[in-house]
Amino acid sequence: MARSLSFAWFSWKNLWRRKLRTLLTVCGIGMAVGAFVALVGFSRSFEHEWLRMYESSGTDIAVVQKTFLNTSVDEAAGARLMSLSSVAAATPMILNMMDLTPEINALVYGWRADSYEFDGLTLTSGRRFRDGQPEVMLGELLAGNLHKQAGDTLDIQGSRLTIAGVYHGGSALEAGAVIMPLDELQQIASLQGKVTAFHVRLRPVPPGDAPDAYLKNAQAQIEAALPGLRAVPAAQRASNNQIVLLAHAAAWGTSSIALLIGILGIANTMAMSVLERTREIGILRALGWKRWRVMLLIQSEAAALGLVGGVFGIAVGWGSLHLLAWLPRTSSITPPAFSPSLLLQAMGVAVVAGLAAGAIPAWRGAHLLPVEALRHD
Amino acid sequence: MTSPLLEARELRKGYDDGRIAALRGVSLSIEAGDFVAISGPSGSGKSTLLQLLGGLDTPSEGQVFYRGQALGSAIDLDDYRSTEVGFIFQAFYLLPTLRAIENVQVPMLALRRESSTRAQRAEELLCELGLKERLNHYPHELSAGERQRVAIARALANQPTLLLADEPTGNLDSENSARIMEILIGIQRSRGMTMIIVTHENDIAASAPRHIRIRDGRIESGRCAS
Ligand SMILES: Nc1ncnc2c1ncn2[C@@H]1O[C@H](COP(=O)(O)OP(=O)(O)O)[C@@H](O)[C@H]1O
Ligand SMILES: [Mg+2]
Repeated sequence: MARSLSFAWFSWKNLWRRKLRTLLTVCGIGMAVGAFVALVGFSRSFEHEWLRMYESSGTDIAVVQKTFLNTSVDEAAGARLMSLSSVAAATPMILNMMDLTPEINALVYGWRADSYEFDGLTLTSGRRFRDGQPEVMLGELLAGNLHKQAGDTLDIQGSRLTIAGVYHGGSALEAGAVIMPLDELQQIASLQGKVTAFHVRLRPVPPGDAPDAYLKNAQAQIEAALPGLRAVPAAQRASNNQIVLLAHAAAWGTSSIALLIGILGIANTMAMSVLERTREIGILRALGWKRWRVMLLIQSEAAALGLVGGVFGIAVGWGSLHLLAWLPRTSSITPPAFSPSLLLQAMGVAVVAGLAAGAIPAWRGAHLLPVEALRHD
Repeated sequence: MTSPLLEARELRKGYDDGRIAALRGVSLSIEAGDFVAISGPSGSGKSTLLQLLGGLDTPSEGQVFYRGQALGSAIDLDDYRSTEVGFIFQAFYLLPTLRAIENVQVPMLALRRESSTRAQRAEELLCELGLKERLNHYPHELSAGERQRVAIARALANQPTLLLADEPTGNLDSENSARIMEILIGIQRSRGMTMIIVTHENDIAASAPRHIRIRDGRIESGRCAS
């Protein structure tokens, strides 16, 4: 059977002749893509949980301060909000993050005992806390991590609080959170009279109205009534709040550095490969291969390194996400959500990294003079 | 009047910014079907001349014409090398990662060809050159004589008009040299190809109908036996 030589087979053979170098390069870019998948995946599922939290409580709009990301809104605005025609319910809330033990930090919510946001939760034991009492409720995941149950006590910032109940949350964020009376939290955090935001449920969309337009009108009505405040749709607030933005920035920042190192690894491999193949490139050119074809050969090798590294990296990232979901410190915010768009992005990033890294070696290889390259030894 | 197949006019070639004058004004003309031997002392400019005729390099001055058209301007050098010229080198220059049959297909990849015909044609060429049992061997598994035969098959891959060989027997023992020369002369005859062989072996040069001697970058004498 006659063996046919294809372009792809040729570039594969070039890679395979230096097995160890090829493998190490693939590992390098694979670890980088793995870091990308794990970190960006983590921050995305974090954002996703945020959205689920709004959805499970039925919040349509968050009213926050206009300018500052870390928002602080006057609690007194609530009355004005409630009087608006499109608003069905408005509830003040505080969101914070705190260290409960040196190992475990958690989101802390301050709610009123009559907040509609309790609708998204189910009590699994105990009861709801009462306003003005040193009481908290724990998400079941957090309660498990802390080995606490209803009736136990919990120390926050030097105050001893009783665990009134444990609940099952609508989102993983709530499952790992502490909820306490708004007034108690204001006291502990010295935030009297201030809240992070008002969460608003709108009245049902009148039949015949477009939901989008209805939401826009409600936003406009709220902003007109409360100058200085901003009405943000829940979906937007989920992706555009301090904690999520920070998580995204950290994820992209860290994985960019990892990817840069991975790219340098491919670039180094391809530069060495082109150098040691100078004579062979001269042969190809002598046999009539055009520059672009030589460039294509080298770039296809670089892209293959990226591609295989990408597949490997996705496996590494998948493993890391599951590890994160399993570790107590991070389990509250990482159900391993693995979206196709993230996989596509990771593969895209890996291949583009390969092409970028191969560009200069490919150009150099293709522009060798055939005669000079043949004389090379 | 029809133009010759290949014509060189006043070729000059300098290296190292002109410090080395490898060719100092060479003119010649070669007709289709010619078999020409070029000989001369080492360093006289034989390889340089062959590279210019084969479109591997460009002259510092002067021009090469193929069928009356200037190389490098009217004719693209890459196209010329891949479709019109088959090159054979002293050091074979096979690609070490590829099997014999794959090496022969490398020039075909420069053109658009059906992949099944590529392999088939490579196999035919190798069989014709007596390498039926060596199709799937790598260059390092072949003897020097076998390697040069693979290189000859590769030179014929795209059915060129011109066969250029630069000291094709320079790395071979006398027995293999004789075999390779026999093959080359046979190919030239049976296919009516135009062949230019650079050699410093006088008996080879003498066997060619036409013999050009080069010394210090100039043609010393041109004998034409016809
Ligand atoms: N790429 C090059 N750079 C510099 N000098 C060269 C190069 N190629 C050939 N030369 C010089 O040009 C002269 C002719 O070389 P060449 O054509 O290879 O001669 P021959 O093939 O007859 O031995 C020699 O002096 C050689 O050293
Ligand atoms: Mg020479």
